[in-house]
Amino acid sequence: MSRSIQYTASPLLTSRTPVWRSKFVVGAVALGFVGLGARAAYIQVFNNDFFQRQGEVRFNRTLELPANRGRILDRNGLILASSVPAPSIWAIPEDVSLDDAERATLAKLLGIAPVELAKKLADEDKSFVWLKRQIDPETAKKIAELKFKGIYQRTEYRRQYPEGEAAAHVVGFTDVEDKGQEGVELLFNSTLLGRPGTRHVIKDRLGRAVEQVGETVAPIAGQDVQLSIDTKVQFFAYQKLRDAVLANRAQAGSIVVLDAHTGEVLALANYPSYNPEKRVNLSGAQLRNRALTDTFEPGSVMKPFTIGLALETGRVKTSTVIDTSPGSVTITGATIRDSHPHGALTVEQVIQVSSNVGTTKIAMQMPAGEMWDTFSGAGFGQKPQIEFPGAVSGRLRPAKSWRPIEQATASYGYGLSASLFQMVRSYTVFSHDGQIIRATLLKNSEPAVGVPVFSADTAAKVRKMLQMAAGPGGTGPKAQTVGYSVGGKSGTAYKQVGKGYGSEGNRKYRSWFVGMAPIDQPRIIVGVMLDEPTAGKYFGGEVAAPVFSETVQQTLRVMGVQPDIAIAPQIVANAVQESF
Amino acid sequence: MIRVNILLALATVASAMYLVGVQYESRRLFTELEKAHREARRLGTELERLQVEKRSQATPARVERVAHEKLQMRQVTPGITLYMNLGDAMPAKP
Repeated sequence: MSRSIQYTASPLLTSRTPVWRSKFVVGAVALGFVGLGARAAYIQVFNNDFFQRQGEVRFNRTLELPANRGRILDRNGLILASSVPAPSIWAIPEDVSLDDAERATLAKLLGIAPVELAKKLADEDKSFVWLKRQIDPETAKKIAELKFKGIYQRTEYRRQYPEGEAAAHVVGFTDVEDKGQEGVELLFNSTLLGRPGTRHVIKDRLGRAVEQVGETVAPIAGQDVQLSIDTKVQFFAYQKLRDAVLANRAQAGSIVVLDAHTGEVLALANYPSYNPEKRVNLSGAQLRNRALTDTFEPGSVMKPFTIGLALETGRVKTSTVIDTSPGSVTITGATIRDSHPHGALTVEQVIQVSSNVGTTKIAMQMPAGEMWDTFSGAGFGQKPQIEFPGAVSGRLRPAKSWRPIEQATASYGYGLSASLFQMVRSYTVFSHDGQIIRATLLKNSEPAVGVPVFSADTAAKVRKMLQMAAGPGGTGPKAQTVGYSVGGKSGTAYKQVGKGYGSEGNRKYRSWFVGMAPIDQPRIIVGVMLDEPTAGKYFGGEVAAPVFSETVQQTLRVMGVQPDIAIAPQIVANAVQESF
Repeated sequence: MIRVNILLALATVASAMYLVGVQYESRRLFTELEKAHREARRLGTELERLQVEKRSQATPARVERVAHEKLQMRQVTPGITLYMNLGDAMPAKP
């Protein structure tokens, strides 16, 4: 026992401790330090990333910075569509503990049936359930004040359409996720969409952002889209169309107003329409943008092109006399008729009274290929150059496959099809000195550059014929309007009923009118179409022309165009019956 | 020497306290700024909402209805419009 450590000199306190014990303690403490050091190295060096991340998760937050969807504006900068905040209410069903009265209050505020609310909150496994999306801010405020546990709000954006149903088909709408579904909202979705930004912040215990870390990605707001539409023109075009559809007990109708200088679409409306903000029970009939998607045989509207070609190529003059008696002509066994015999007509009068026989006789002097070139040059059967969802190209068969009777019917607008929009655009040939111009939905104040179809001289001559057609002794005198000279062509067609065109008393019609004003220097082209008018009148000159007349007058007034004819009531009511 | 050390220690403590204070203040200010930004965004969207609201109160449909029903106004036509030609109305130069 000689090997021991002496802690004190006092013999009283002398303990006989073996040396190994103190060494053991020293060793144990040293081992402890080694352990700590290793752990520290593990945390600080080897597994540093993991711990760093775990720390950040607990205080770092990535915030999304929402980007607003761009607005849709009319040509004067008035809002056609804009996003407004609309809170959405959501819940964590597990956390919700409401008594019956509270549930009833909530259901009432949300505007849903208590049963439905109960169903939504029933599934306690879910950690998230929308109660109602995009409600109005006042209601959301009331719900927030109730401070129900487990009920939360989140700001979303909802589109609002101040013009409502008048512009619905042009503007379209978005779905609840802010994605374009129809119309311009769909067409320009990528332009209108913004890109949301992000930022990283450190949040404190109370959830307040206290410090910004890292880089911030700024949100890019969606761009505004300015359309060529004029809300005023759009509104009364829609209004007049709606009134006419209702008065004539028609199924539907369309109207297009085009600026004859720039090719801008000033108005494009269809009836029936819908309110883009309240889209419950929408039917396909309401959604259809008939002016662009419905094709039909253009009928008499084509005659000016046939006559224009004959004038252009020098085959006839405006004063050339064509004998249309006895009111019918037979081409390879098939007979083409006028509604009643007109006798000898000048080329001008052929258009004025809309004689099928006269047009056929002129057309048969020309090769089919030339007619096809003119028609397709005017946009018929061509891909619609306006990129609109659902826009169609219509049909114009290649000239090679035309039999003589088909060439004859094509000359007065049968055997080919086009949308109302295509017809309106094709008339820019006559309004724009023989050149067809691009139609556009976007604002564009530059005069359009056209592609020549006819010479300016031919265009002027045809304009005069169109004026005669819309004047006394023509087929559409009801197209006339106070103060402005107009010109245009009406059309009426049987619609297919079952296998044929229906029997007398059971026929269905489609009526339309396409024209321009003021006739010497056209500013606008207007096309009106009514589908299945059933109130007795059905000729294009009687049901569609009055809508044309009112629309022309209001549009030119809004555009500040001075009347070009002496102002006196000039409406002449004795129409010559037009041919089918 | 000891005095200098004490002085330095005090200075360090003081600077540390100051740092804590500044850090706190900066976080407080940041929160304020954040709040102001949120308010700005809220006001921005509110403006947008009100503009849309204003627009929907002034749509041609509503204007026409009010003009027609409340004010008994009627549609303008060229028949009841007097057109003045500014070019002619100007006095000729002497």
